[in-house]
Amino acid sequence: MTTANVEVAAHDGEIDIVVSGEIDLSNAESVQDDIFAAITNHLVAVHIDLSKLTYIDSAGLRILFALADRLRLLQTRCRLSAPAGSPIQRVIELSGLASLVDVHLS
Amino acid sequence: MGLALLRLQGKPRRHTLSQSAMAVMLRDMATVHSSENAEARLRRIEAVTDTTLAHLGVEQLLRELLRRIREILGVDTATVLLLAKGGHHLVATASSGLEEEVRQGVRIPVGEGFAGQIAARQQPLVIDRVGPDTVRNPLLWRKGICSLAGVPLLAGGELLGVLHVGSLHPRTFGEQDLHLLELAGERVALATRTRQSRAERTAAEALQRDLLPSRLPHVTGMELASRYVPAEEAGVSGDWYDVFTLPSGWLCVAIGDVVGRGLGAATVMSRMRTATRAYALDSNDPGEVLSKLDRHIRHFEPDSMATIAYGMWEPALDRMHLSLAGHLAPVVATPDAEPAIADTPVDPPIGASSAPVPRKTSTIEVPPDSVVLFYTDGLVERRHRPIEVGLELLRETVRTESPEAVCAAVMASLIDAGATGDDIAVLAMRRQHPDELRSMHLEFPAEPESLAEIRAALRRWLPAVGASDDDLADLLVTVGEASANAIEHAYGPLGGTVEIRLEADEREVHATITDRGNWRHPRGQHRGRGTRLMRHLSDDVRIDHGAEGTSVRIRRRLTGDEVP
Repeated sequence: MTTANVEVAAHDGEIDIVVSGEIDLSNAESVQDDIFAAITNHLVAVHIDLSKLTYIDSAGLRILFALADRLRLLQTRCRLSAPAGSPIQRVIELSGLASLVDVHLS
Repeated sequence: MGLALLRLQGKPRRHTLSQSAMAVMLRDMATVHSSENAEARLRRIEAVTDTTLAHLGVEQLLRELLRRIREILGVDTATVLLLAKGGHHLVATASSGLEEEVRQGVRIPVGEGFAGQIAARQQPLVIDRVGPDTVRNPLLWRKGICSLAGVPLLAGGELLGVLHVGSLHPRTFGEQDLHLLELAGERVALATRTRQSRAERTAAEALQRDLLPSRLPHVTGMELASRYVPAEEAGVSGDWYDVFTLPSGWLCVAIGDVVGRGLGAATVMSRMRTATRAYALDSNDPGEVLSKLDRHIRHFEPDSMATIAYGMWEPALDRMHLSLAGHLAPVVATPDAEPAIADTPVDPPIGASSAPVPRKTSTIEVPPDSVVLFYTDGLVERRHRPIEVGLELLRETVRTESPEAVCAAVMASLIDAGATGDDIAVLAMRRQHPDELRSMHLEFPAEPESLAEIRAALRRWLPAVGASDDDLADLLVTVGEASANAIEHAYGPLGGTVEIRLEADEREVHATITDRGNWRHPRGQHRGRGTRLMRHLSDDVRIDHGAEGTSVRIRRRLTGDEVP
């Protein structure tokens, strides 16, 4: 079974979302629901921390693209962080997500 | 003696307080005169030849016995309270004439009230005048019971419960009555014990059958075989073993021995197995897993103790981390050295101490072709043979052969025709050579839940054929994407399967992912990224859509340890 955990910490109009575990086709929808539920339209900035993620495929990338799209409409800043040189960072780099959101290497 | 005959001989007699003293006297005399007859009848009360009783459960059996006792002793109520688990309470289990006590689930603390005192002292007790001042349970005097007599139910010196009888008219239970009641109590105790232990044995056996893996898991890179032989006479004891993989690709192995026998030991064993699996999900350190298990058992099963050997194999299967809680160390046979008992420090058994103890984990390097053999003490311990001799014999017997052959050799060498007094569990593991693993064939149901299993299989296989961490990460995504496509697009609601063929030589991995469906066009936004990822992360991707299905062929060079 593929499991991922979404932890949310909000402070001063900003929100940190830490996603750990793995994301694939089997759990992408529920991970997306968890992330989207945490985001209100009052937020100024969203930070997605992927440093504890161990696997992501295109189903997981779909979440991040959809999120980037939504936040652009809401005029909310979006920052993504992933460990430099990690498989996760490599997949994100290849996906072209960096052209939509600010990707920060940790 | 049949039921019909019993009814003819002892018609139920109901007396009320309004009946004359003369009638009572006559009846009591009749009881005394027929006591010899009554004794004979009581002795045969649960004769095994009585087919009426053969198929009844404990409660039904007791109800029928009590009905017969009531008739033979000429009393109005007959009730059995059995000692509940833990030994602190009596629970009304069956009654004839006082059924409400059972229906209301009456519980009497041992030491309190009429039945409680009988249980605490394990002595008969008679009360001639039942009332609020002499009997605690209002049910008894509200019912109109005037006199009570009760005896403890004992089997092999062990207290099972209490049998008491009551009379709705004033009556003095004499020595003769008590003698008959004790006789009845013996029969009831015997029947209850037999029935209970039969039920417990059946439950314990069912539990243990359910606990031992019916077939060992298929683990890429590891061959497995096992033997389990229960002790011949003593019934189920607490030996168990378990082999399971984690989503992270780690392989876990546990073998243990719970102190005790029967249903109690089997129940603890099942809880230990579940707890071990649960803690295994959260830690890659066997010492930590056993520390948590120890805490769990000390708190939730305070009277239990068990030995366990618990090992965790890294996904590449080249190293096993091991922690021992009072258990014998495994035998390790490698291609280049004499077989040896693993030199692993042994910590106290699970549940042995009242406080946490520090637990150690040691790491064993396991080259390809090596055999690791786990076992329980029943294999090496014999009355007539010191354990060192058994261990030495075992060590000499283990070879780097197939696990089935190792198990057969070990059983043949250590067990002769004589009966063994203990359970024996043996589990052999052989790490396969990379040459045996050049190709792998996997088949999964085409459903999203299979993706995690596919990754777990790749995490075990790829390092075994020389893939580096980067190779592994890239191939996880490429094979994962191809499989996800098949799962998402190939089949209708009836589903189907995804087949994965992998082949490796020193330089390259070839993966072919095949389905037998008909891909539909991708739907929704943000699609097409998967194929791009696959092309970026591999050296070649070919997708062939045919009438028979689709196959995706992936080629990826192995970088090994070289810097990219």
